[in-house]
Amino acid sequence: MLFLKGFARFKVPGGKLIEVKLNYSNSIQSIQILGDFFLYPEASLKDIENSLLNLKVNESEENIARIVSNVVKNKSITLMGITPEAIAKTIKMAVDK
Amino acid sequence: MRWRVIRLEVHDAYLNMGIDQAIMEGAEAGKSAPTIRFYKWMPSAVSIGRFQSMREEVDIEKCMELGISYIRRVTGGGAVYHSNSGEITYSVIAPTSIISKDIRESYRIVCGWVIDGLSKLGINASFAPINDIVVDGKKISGNAQTRSKGTILQHGTILYDLDIKTMFTVLRVSGEKISDKMIKSVEERVTCVKNYADTDQEGLYEKLLEGFTAGKEFEFGSCTEEEMKRAEVLAKSVYSSDSWNFDR
Repeated sequence: MLFLKGFARFKVPGGKLIEVKLNYSNSIQSIQILGDFFLYPEASLKDIENSLLNLKVNESEENIARIVSNVVKNKSITLMGITPEAIAKTIKMAVDK
Repeated sequence: MRWRVIRLEVHDAYLNMGIDQAIMEGAEAGKSAPTIRFYKWMPSAVSIGRFQSMREEVDIEKCMELGISYIRRVTGGGAVYHSNSGEITYSVIAPTSIISKDIRESYRIVCGWVIDGLSKLGINASFAPINDIVVDGKKISGNAQTRSKGTILQHGTILYDLDIKTMFTVLRVSGEKISDKMIKSVEERVTCVKNYADTDQEGLYEKLLEGFTAGKEFEFGSCTEEEMKRAEVLAKSVYSSDSWNFDR
């Protein structure tokens, strides 16, 4: 099956840069979140990325933000320079292009 | 709490990052004393943040042509060009309990030591959260921190001189060619010690040392044999490996 490639870059106002690279069809097949932000503990970025796999690409920005927020809360992650909302916005930008 | 202060050393990128991690692992295990170290990079190097893409941030071919190393840090943040002649790097490795359990506060505290050092040169710098130190609104120092098992590793760089042309030859700038306009725009956002103080790098280092050690009980020391052995292993097996550096 052929997947589409998505990419978007978003500078959080007053914060850091987020980039999202993903492969998708109707849902997200693979995703990488990149940028110059801080996230503690660092290894838990994978937990956020994994939580977004198989997500329908027409999922609302609010729902995506909620999913990320839940991982942040459950895994006691500290984000600096980015927010769940900004991650969700960048994902939507990457699949809407 | 007695600190160990490791005087300015010069190493390649891989060993510099290996030493930081080896001391951090030692501190986590309760073996390494809280440590402040100063270092330079030889050859000059580009370091990228933990979550950045090497190929997107760095012009690898140019680095190879110019003999500049490239490395992924264990810390987040952005890409930095560590010119051997243009900056001093520090790292602080210590239990969170003696700095602060609060991440933002610990950035403020350690950056405060840099600011104290700069003030001894008559430079009025201030902390610009999340991780910058600025003078007249321009960045003079970038800092990055990681934490593990109750231990902080914060490292940062203090710009002594600017070599914007080389900086943008090795760092990729989205689609733009290196132009006078771009260089001017960087000069409006970034500055260096040389623009504010009549000192050489030795003078900057001495003042940073004073700023970092003021009010602390400390002794000068060096890495233990065990730390160096571990640092060399990390330099070889992790920090110079493509699997780490090109992970993203």
